[in-house]
Amino acid sequence: MASSGSGYDLSPTTFSPDGRIFQVEYASKSVASSGTLIGLKCSDGIVLACEKLLANKMLVPGSNKRINTVSKTSGCAFTGFVSDGRQIVNRAREEASSYLDTYGIPVPPSVLADRLAHYVHYFTLHGALRPFGASMVLGCYEEDMDEASLYMVEPSGQVFKYFGCAAGKGRQGAKTEIEKLDLSTLTVAQGVKEAARIVTMLRDDGKDKPMELEISTVAAENNYVHKPCEKSVIAEAEKWAKEQIEEEEDMEEDED
Amino acid sequence: MSRDSNYDHHISIFSPNGRLYQIEYAFKASQSSGLTSVACRGADSVAICTQKKVPERLVDPESVSNVFTIVPSIGCLMTGIGPDCKALVQRIRYEANDFQYKYGYPIPCAQLAKRIADIAQVYTQSASMRPLAATAILISVDDEKGPQLFKVDPAGHYLPFFATSAGVKEQEAVNYFEKKVEDLKTSNVDDVARTAIMCLGSVLGSDFRGSEIEVALVQGKQRFKKLTEDEVEGHLNAIAEMDA
Repeated sequence: MASSGSGYDLSPTTFSPDGRIFQVEYASKSVASSGTLIGLKCSDGIVLACEKLLANKMLVPGSNKRINTVSKTSGCAFTGFVSDGRQIVNRAREEASSYLDTYGIPVPPSVLADRLAHYVHYFTLHGALRPFGASMVLGCYEEDMDEASLYMVEPSGQVFKYFGCAAGKGRQGAKTEIEKLDLSTLTVAQGVKEAARIVTMLRDDGKDKPMELEISTVAAENNYVHKPCEKSVIAEAEKWAKEQIEEEEDMEEDED
Repeated sequence: MSRDSNYDHHISIFSPNGRLYQIEYAFKASQSSGLTSVACRGADSVAICTQKKVPERLVDPESVSNVFTIVPSIGCLMTGIGPDCKALVQRIRYEANDFQYKYGYPIPCAQLAKRIADIAQVYTQSASMRPLAATAILISVDDEKGPQLFKVDPAGHYLPFFATSAGVKEQEAVNYFEKKVEDLKTSNVDDVARTAIMCLGSVLGSDFRGSEIEVALVQGKQRFKKLTEDEVEGHLNAIAEMDA
């Protein structure tokens, strides 16, 4: 099996002998080595949380947003190549806006997710293009169905609707933690804290670069308008997260 | 077998033995999803059946489906790489609706299959695009010709079938159907659906619950429809009673 690529990995238009498209797999690898991104579908809305790794101490806090508003009631977060992610966000905004212009109603979440998936997939088909090196999590609310939905679009163009999703470095650990939560009763307020806890827990402060946590919500209490969380709320969530983690560590030590 | 490794990097290059390796690899890729799909037609209906594998517990099952409505009279079962399948469905839907717009009547399944196959062939001949790793099984009940079942593969082949299969256990499913094909020709809709389900069960060697498979059918003048979980359970119970 040619698992090292070796000649079959130079173009998205080449299949390997065992039927894999290596360029798409490599694009996913670049996402897998970037900051953790978590999406939670809570009982009263969506929480999006992003671990922004700070390359430079001179960066202004709160700048270089990773979570963006797509339309009034939808937001998206991405991880991976930041510049690639921005392109997908722009496309999402255009799709949402043109749907509203053409059909007169806000774009249904499933349609928006589907369109983005097709857009991202298109770049895996042509030799002149390369796949996007970014995964995107979309949280949106649909008034007709009175439902908030969570979708994740991957560099291969795959899209699914999720109860909870994770991408980036800590996704395996994050998925395990998310499965432990009872999402059907979790409120957005509590979800923000849990997301902070999961991201903080999976970092290794000694080895990883310093991070800034960015969280936003599409919540019932805000009429499902996509809003970034206030700095104070995030700081409080981080403090709670650190306390929870220390408590667990103490408990483990006591057991020993 | 020498793999002519210099000749398999590009679509539009033939190997010295006259093979197009990239297309063969595209077939392999369309089996990489690990699923098997089956379809069979009866006296006045056609049924399709495929596995429904939800990739993780956190995924909402309602967003996982390989069965698509093209137009109300034509249904489609896709097997292969997820995003490629969805892209192909987009194109099939476009072609079907464009035909209706231009000519004023619904596209016959055979015409649609031919059109999609021709498009797939273009990808095998032009170097800038790769074939889509997706096999489409199109079904309908034609008002002139009766039940129709077509399979279109990444190479651009298309053929009408009495019964067919796509995916990992394709060959075993076809072997199963070959024994049943004479009975199928006069079967009613329930028997056709049950034969499809039993075929899948037999090649995968396991019993199913209603949530683990997708079954859809088109019958007479009715629209293409997916069966609900309860309806699938009904068929599974009937099959269990038949064996007992």
